[in-house]
Amino acid sequence: MEASTIIYSTAAVIGTLIVALFVGLWLPGIERKFIHARIQQRVGPPLSSPGFMAPLKFFFKETIVPNSPLPRLYNALPLIGLLSVFFILLFLIPQMYFLGALTSLMAIIGLLKIEELVYVFMGSLSNSIMSLSMPFPDVVKGAKHPNVPKAFLENLSAMRAFRLIAFGSFPLYIAILVPAVMTGSIFLNDIVNYQQVNGPVLFTLAGTLGAVVFFIGYMILLNEYPFAILKTKADVIEGPYMEYASKYRAYVYITRGFLMFTLGALFSVLFLGLPPNILSWSILINIAVAVIFPIFMAVFSAFSPIFTFKQFYPVVTGISLLGVLAMVVAFF
Amino acid sequence: MDKNDKAKRQEVIETEVTMGTVHPAALEPYRVRLFVEDEIVRDAEITVGLNHRGIERIMEGLPVEKANSLTEKICGICSNSHIWNSVMVAEKGLEIEIPERASYIRIIMGELERLHSHLLYLAHGNEVLGHETFAMRLFFIRETVMELLRMIGGNRVQYGCSIIGGVRPRCELDLMRIQKLNEGMDIIEEKIGQFADRFVSDPIVMSRITGVGVLTKKDALRLAATGPTLRSTGVDMDLRRDMEIYDPFDFDIITQQDGDVKANLLMRVLEIPESIKIIRQAVKNIPSGPITDRSWEMQDTGIIKSYIEVPRGKLLHSYALEEGRVRGSIVRTPSITNIAAMQHACIGNHISDAQLAIVQCDPCFTCTDRAIKITKIEI
Repeated sequence: MEASTIIYSTAAVIGTLIVALFVGLWLPGIERKFIHARIQQRVGPPLSSPGFMAPLKFFFKETIVPNSPLPRLYNALPLIGLLSVFFILLFLIPQMYFLGALTSLMAIIGLLKIEELVYVFMGSLSNSIMSLSMPFPDVVKGAKHPNVPKAFLENLSAMRAFRLIAFGSFPLYIAILVPAVMTGSIFLNDIVNYQQVNGPVLFTLAGTLGAVVFFIGYMILLNEYPFAILKTKADVIEGPYMEYASKYRAYVYITRGFLMFTLGALFSVLFLGLPPNILSWSILINIAVAVIFPIFMAVFSAFSPIFTFKQFYPVVTGISLLGVLAMVVAFF
Repeated sequence: MDKNDKAKRQEVIETEVTMGTVHPAALEPYRVRLFVEDEIVRDAEITVGLNHRGIERIMEGLPVEKANSLTEKICGICSNSHIWNSVMVAEKGLEIEIPERASYIRIIMGELERLHSHLLYLAHGNEVLGHETFAMRLFFIRETVMELLRMIGGNRVQYGCSIIGGVRPRCELDLMRIQKLNEGMDIIEEKIGQFADRFVSDPIVMSRITGVGVLTKKDALRLAATGPTLRSTGVDMDLRRDMEIYDPFDFDIITQQDGDVKANLLMRVLEIPESIKIIRQAVKNIPSGPITDRSWEMQDTGIIKSYIEVPRGKLLHSYALEEGRVRGSIVRTPSITNIAAMQHACIGNHISDAQLAIVQCDPCFTCTDRAIKITKIEI
């Protein structure tokens, strides 16, 4: 390989990642300022606050040791989540397609699973003060059931994260496989090439259905209303993130913004055949998709209450079946 | 296995999940211990006592006018109801007939307070549901009521409207205020109608609130529930019907049958037009004349009790007068009698719905927590 090609590829990868990070930091602000606040007829936060200024501020805050059996591992988990999202985006960049199996859908799904699994560990390892009772058995006069073991709110969210892994993420993974069925390959390179010859998958019936399913899966993965069962104000509050302070909380916020961009880029690759590449005009499409998705998501979430499992299961089942239909259509 | 070969379900409380004393779904500090089995609540216990201020104790020995002002500080939502009822205790004891115009103004303030309390309840309910857009829109509607209250009372929370013998001169309704009241009622009626249409036609919202936090008529009566919580189970009980001051007004007592969150929310939605109806009648038929009777004389009284229907239910104020000072004051707010209903409403629901089941009973623990019990300790 020539030196110029290596320099060109390295610059493309680094440039794309920087653009992704920069755009990702503004997406939560766009969602909250321009959509939620407008719909709810309020001023909303400054555009830069939720995604950019808040993480920046947290980097300078004091670190509080969480009330966790493994505080170091607990604090490391957001970084693991961020890294898994980082690698997903890295493997989506066309200059990385020489890595073979790592740039296949199986690798992407595996990395997404790591990102989801992190929440289970976060919830399991957190024992925040929000659900701490008195440090002695609650046997005041008249107290009910004094000797029942206590669970923490984060433990509840860990169980819910596990259910999401087992069930909730079906729509996204089914949608991811629709282009694979159409192109007959799980490699991103083949999927992109197929679409450059045959046109975007999105403009086929299977692709359109798959895109709808992908969008719902996107909302579930981002734990956005109405699918925010991991972190609802009505019970588990912040859920797995409850005890994160300072830079660790900043990582949580950055991961969310970065994941928004990455999932948008994944959609562009799978349904439009346009991988993120700073040296190509297609990066503009990636950015547009990354902005449009949170806008749609914010509109949906602003007009819906949070689901409980009673609503969550039927919706996910229905959307998953739609995804299966898309796959069946894709065969023909 | 039982005789029908069906596996018997064993009620096992696996874990306790404690929410509070600080929790974002709760407007005020209280603790709820939920005893759960696979995220289903099998039992619940609500503990209050964190807002305790001992207002009755402070009232002891104060001149009655000062003590009445103090009762307004019991609650930030139904402040007018407390001072109104407290003043009524003195008026009852001193046998004061207040001018008719004053009673009309009191009714207007009372119903405006009911409007703002119900709108706050609906907004908070929607916030706990996770529907922030509905919550924000309800807060916007409530803003109109708050401005009307500020216009008459001079403040948004503590109005200080009722005094012994009538209402304060600054709460007089002139033509400009009457016109603004009429305009405000038009706005609220239109907006609450639009909200109600959207609310009941939203299938996801209905799915979240139907059959959640069910309280049967029998349980509501057994647990001494009061106010809209009781009426949502089908019990037709509203003290306003027995209050002489409400006699000139034509309004309906709203009841629902299901006793769940949906019934409770709809109760408030339907009570709002009834309050508007009362305010319109009061504004239209308000008699002319003085608004304060200052001819009364202070005298000692025995223990006098007064009950009125406030937005959350039945409110009791009681005290005796001795040389113009308050003795043996007792206040019982509706929320304290609704606590048992709140606990019961949680049972059988998913843990995500537990706060909703509590909120459906419209708790106001700030009101509740100032009650004290002085026990004599023998050494």
